Amino acid sequence: MYGNAYIDPKKANNSLVNGEDPIKLAEFEARIASGQKVEPKDWMPAMYRKQLVRMIEQHAHSEIIGSLPEGTWITRAPGFRRKLALMAKVQDEVGHAQLLYNAAETLGKSREDMINDLISGKSKYSNVFNYPAVTWADSAVIAWLIDAGAIVNQLANSRGSYGPYCRALERICAEESFHLKYGHDNVVFLATGTPKQREMVQEALTRWWPPIMHFFGPSDKDSVHSETLMKWKVKMASNDDMRQQFLNMYVPKIWDLGLVLPDPNLVKNEETGKWDYTEPDWEEFKRVINGDGPCNAERLAVRRTAEENGRWVRKALNKSQNYVTPLS
Amino acid sequence: MKIISLDPRVNRSSINKTEETVILEKLDQFQTYEVFAQTKRGTHHVHVGSVHAANENIAMLFAKEQYARRGECVNIWVVKTADVSATEYEDSDIFDTLDEKYHRNPESYKVMDRIKAYKEKGNQ
Amino acid sequence: MELTERHVEGLKHLLYNMADDLLILGHRNSEWTGMGPILEEDIAFSSMAQDKIGQSLALYNILHEMGEQEPDVVAFTRNSTNFHCAKLVELPIGEYDFSLVRHFLYDYADAVKFDMLSKSIFEPLAQVCRKFRGELKYHTMHANIWIKDLTNGNEESKKRMQDSLNLAYPIAYSLFETNEYEAELKEAGIFAGESEQKKIWKKEVDAVILESGLTIPMVKNEEDHHGGRVGNHTEHLQPLLDEMTEVFQIDPTADW
Repeated sequence: MYGNAYIDPKKANNSLVNGEDPIKLAEFEARIASGQKVEPKDWMPAMYRKQLVRMIEQHAHSEIIGSLPEGTWITRAPGFRRKLALMAKVQDEVGHAQLLYNAAETLGKSREDMINDLISGKSKYSNVFNYPAVTWADSAVIAWLIDAGAIVNQLANSRGSYGPYCRALERICAEESFHLKYGHDNVVFLATGTPKQREMVQEALTRWWPPIMHFFGPSDKDSVHSETLMKWKVKMASNDDMRQQFLNMYVPKIWDLGLVLPDPNLVKNEETGKWDYTEPDWEEFKRVINGDGPCNAERLAVRRTAEENGRWVRKALNKSQNYVTPLS
Repeated sequence: MKIISLDPRVNRSSINKTEETVILEKLDQFQTYEVFAQTKRGTHHVHVGSVHAANENIAMLFAKEQYARRGECVNIWVVKTADVSATEYEDSDIFDTLDEKYHRNPESYKVMDRIKAYKEKGNQ
Repeated sequence: MELTERHVEGLKHLLYNMADDLLILGHRNSEWTGMGPILEEDIAFSSMAQDKIGQSLALYNILHEMGEQEPDVVAFTRNSTNFHCAKLVELPIGEYDFSLVRHFLYDYADAVKFDMLSKSIFEPLAQVCRKFRGELKYHTMHANIWIKDLTNGNEESKKRMQDSLNLAYPIAYSLFETNEYEAELKEAGIFAGESEQKKIWKKEVDAVILESGLTIPMVKNEEDHHGGRVGNHTEHLQPLLDEMTEVFQIDPTADW
């Protein structure tokens, strides 16, 4: 569903290219500049590999963890149409996780290591999933607006330089189109339905707007690394640009339904052509992404439990395995 | 700390009985298989991705769902990734075709002028 | 051939039995989504759960064409005493061994039933059963492979398979509870009956059980777990229905 690698600025190295062979680096960068893709066995700078693994891995974790807030409502979906659609959508999230772990694996990190880093709390995932889906309408808002944000991010990244990630994203983007339609359809039915339904979706939207505004991360215009990562086509668009794109596409649609957003300063600035808004609380973002959100403990505990409960199954089947790093 | 979830499935699970440290050992997630899918009879099988699976039967079950649950598919192959041999990208110059091999290019065969000249000669 | 009122009654019972089985089992199996033992299997099990619910919808649609209410109303507003699913399907998901064994026993039974019904003179049902043949083929293939592989895994997995089989096998007979219409439906060529289905099912699952290396559990009384077809259920069904209909019941007349 979504991934926007959270790179803690304090932990970043001073240079991404320290110690790399300048000739190989130049060839590598020329290949990328010409639009060619980098494949798993190509030479690549260590930091390129490291940043990509982290980014794709976080994206994969976001998908599997992202299946949990909406999964909350799978057994309670009202009516066949919603029941079937939600089951299919959540299943797709698990499928996306599988595709993305595969892509990250090509860079040399095993799926076991990635899952271990997730359940130990070492690896991050999209912060937005640390919040609770309190009502059915929350699941609708998530399906529409979080998926919308994910699509903005994924479309940008699908033009990136790493072959396996691009191929995974192509498949993912195709499936996301139904997710977005489903989410929008769901919100529309609620917003245009009975007073109770309308109240439910308005409350959900109010509740989810702050996490949605956090979704693309803090402004990275001052980030030292952004430039190199963009040259390497690891990062394809700035956080600010993606946020603007999202706001431009979806705020009018939200207002079209007569729904209210809890930010009195949210308005499209006619002069700049950009959206003005109240700066989100980045301290809260930091707190939550570092473990102190309403659902962090539960999300990880659920994954831990799933892995633990499934251990006997995996152990029983584990005979003469011949593992090599995947090719693509 | 007891976890009470909004998700009834989670509340029914053994979530509060799991030990704190759960670590997956090496090969816990098995080896991988490459998946090739044929959309229609008559077309080539195309590589679509990979699955983690303990054996080929399970790999086929997984491949069908992960890569063919939507869209057309009539047949699937699975091959252990370890059994796939591949060339090196740094050797991709072995695939370069030089322009001097024009004799293999259909475009290099032009005879209209020759036929015309022959006919004109015959009419004299 | 003209369907008499008795035939229609019998058919409706049959359809409710089938649709309710599929809905409740599909619902149960969907509880595993996002929590399965390995990602790829999570995806596969979820697909099969969706298939079941899709099949139940097709059957509720036939009922609707026969004069029953719309599928959403039929599925989301009845209480357990009005549900006709067999006790096997309403039990909680347990651990993965139980869910797999239930999937094995149930899907083999459905494969037999759908095959028998694909020859029914009642064309709407025959069509639906033919249509879902491919899905069921995958379901039984999946069950077959997993039962065999886990039985031949290690000591723990073999024990789990046998224990779950010992528990579920007798309860599986709840699927074959029959009623007063069985003979008439058979004579009319609508459905050859649960007794016939049970015979074929037993032959097939017993073969898989023995091939795998498990032992066939003893069943003292095949009717111990009957009652589901006439609204007598375990303590698990009503809470399941309460949960399933929680949002729908906020306003059953609303468009969701």
